[in-house]
Amino acid sequence: MTSRETILSKLHAARQPFAGLPPAGDMIPVVPAEDTGPAALRARFIAAAEALSCTVTACPDADAAIRHILGLVGTDSTILSWDLKHVPLPGLGAALAGAGIAIAAAGDASVRAGLTGVDAALAATGSLLLASGPGKPRGASLLPEVHIAVVAAGQIVPDLETWLAAQRAAGLEHLRQLNSVVMISGPSRTADIAMETVMGVHGPGALQIVLVGES
Amino acid sequence: MDVKARDFIPAAQVALSDPALRAAVKRATDTAAKKRLATMFWAGRAHGEALRQQAAQARRRALRDLPALLEQAEAAMTANGIQVLWAADGDEVRRLVLDIAARHEVRRAVKSKSMISEEVALNHALQAHDIDVLETDLGEFIVQLSGETPSHIVTPVIHKSKETIRDLFVRELDMPPTDDAEAMTQFARGHLRRAFLEADMGISGGNFIIAETGALCLVTNEGNGRMVTSLPRVHVALVGIEKVIATVEDYATLTQILPRSSTGQTMTVYTQMIHGPRAADEDGPEHVYVILVDNGRSDIYPTDYAEALACIRCGACLNACPVYEATGGHAYGWVYSGPIGAVITPLLTGLENASPLPHASSLCGLCKEVCPVDIDLPRMLLDLRRDLDEAGHTPPVWKWGIRGWAMVARSPRLFGLAARAAGLGGRFLPPRPPLPPPLNGWTRTRDLPEFAPKSFRQLWAERQKAGKRDD
Ligand code: SF4
Repeated sequence: MTSRETILSKLHAARQPFAGLPPAGDMIPVVPAEDTGPAALRARFIAAAEALSCTVTACPDADAAIRHILGLVGTDSTILSWDLKHVPLPGLGAALAGAGIAIAAAGDASVRAGLTGVDAALAATGSLLLASGPGKPRGASLLPEVHIAVVAAGQIVPDLETWLAAQRAAGLEHLRQLNSVVMISGPSRTADIAMETVMGVHGPGALQIVLVGES
Repeated sequence: MDVKARDFIPAAQVALSDPALRAAVKRATDTAAKKRLATMFWAGRAHGEALRQQAAQARRRALRDLPALLEQAEAAMTANGIQVLWAADGDEVRRLVLDIAARHEVRRAVKSKSMISEEVALNHALQAHDIDVLETDLGEFIVQLSGETPSHIVTPVIHKSKETIRDLFVRELDMPPTDDAEAMTQFARGHLRRAFLEADMGISGGNFIIAETGALCLVTNEGNGRMVTSLPRVHVALVGIEKVIATVEDYATLTQILPRSSTGQTMTVYTQMIHGPRAADEDGPEHVYVILVDNGRSDIYPTDYAEALACIRCGACLNACPVYEATGGHAYGWVYSGPIGAVITPLLTGLENASPLPHASSLCGLCKEVCPVDIDLPRMLLDLRRDLDEAGHTPPVWKWGIRGWAMVARSPRLFGLAARAAGLGGRFLPPRPPLPPPLNGWTRTRDLPEFAPKSFRQLWAERQKAGKRDD
């Protein structure tokens, strides 16, 4: 018998534990919220992200957001980046080119700043949800010291529960196509040395969230 | 990892006589416990409690349906492009990982935290086959450099002071001396970054596997989990068979309650769902393997200890435990420490190899109260004591003592006499007397309380005689 068969047959033969459990019923969200209107969501997302030591900069429109991003990149000549069609800022490509900023090859670990969009933002916990895919390299949000994430206000959802409910509604097949899904909640951190919190252990030590649009 | 749990008492004595260790552990566990309270119950007791029960049920339903869910998870992962393997024991885990390493010509491996790899001493096996393996969780990295073992399942170097870590980095890595935790961390970042970029294989654990989607779920704060699962060509995850859960909804509850209980964070910084290897036009590993590891778990499954398999390794019971706080993790002598260690070490490694552990508890009950999945640890500790006794592992003095007590307590006359004798005898003892052996172990570290001159029974009888005047 293979180990697979041995293990499974042992488990199947066993008296079933917890046989009397009720079926899964309605579930309560981990973070209860009353108001899920766009303005409330936006305010909760900003507060939660700031509590995680992210810097959130609200920009009324794409032009303001682009100016802010150019400021963050500063004098660097290269950045890591998602394909700009996945970053909701029309005009960003031209602006970067105009400022002489080139996009480095994915995986270049010598670059200081990484630019991404997000697939969703979770208001309850201030988390950014990023899925991998063509034009959306994982390294852009992982390798650099600074991660600049562009969030359109309309991408904010209440919480992980809501996002997963939408995935279920769309058929979980789609979710399964996303080879890597990561929820990023603040800069990389550790407290392993004498319980002192230090940012930027392996991932970015700074997370700059550029929030575009009113809601 | 060798099991040294039989030496709990001498090892605990060493720890107890190390004030620096005790202070470090106390500070760390107190902080974690406070943060846990703040994030678990921020929306009130009732909500936090309901959430705990929701998580407890999700884990128990998953265990109830374990064999079916494992088959479902295997099918889903396979369809996603993950290669699923099964390992009955440590030997097989090591063999499978070495096979994968050979197949992909792996010379260098990086690891994020995996408790199973500690169970099966994977690093030794890899090194014996000339494969470099580097721990990348900062705490585990420090543990590896110093040739120690982790002393806490979440914060592995909870027992080490900053100065010890500084000296270690200076000695082993030529770090320019500094007492700044941030500078030390940055130094380690540089060292480990090179290793990530050069590694051929990443080895991780797994916090959950979602059966319906075939997702391997991981959480890390430092980002090493993402590095290990993104940069090398090959990713191998070692996951206990008990880690499977049914639905994405259960995942939402469990992956959020875990950091709340563990470090008091609302979310771990990097919370990942991995569905498969990279597609042709994206970055990521070319091959993803998940090894489903039994290593004693299927023996626990049919017993009254099945509940122990619900554990999500948050560490809250360690942080709450007065025994863990006094001894730290190393005294427990194997991978898992604290109350959950006292339960699963005997179950996974054999009662005879860990006989002192079920006694390493005051049964205060706090471990159950803080457990995010409501595992009845005190009940299992008591049952294990019974099993130990039935298997002949209780020290004879304890047995005689308990038998003597039982005889006296069963007879009202004897009980009354004994109580009176204690009260009378107490008058003739010097203050703070040591007890004679074998009871002197108790008075070595504690004062024997003075016996009241009259026992409760005497007082009660006198009251009854006096005719309950003042009722
Ligand atoms: S037994 Fe409960 S409290 Fe202890 S580590 Fe496991 S889940 Fe956490």
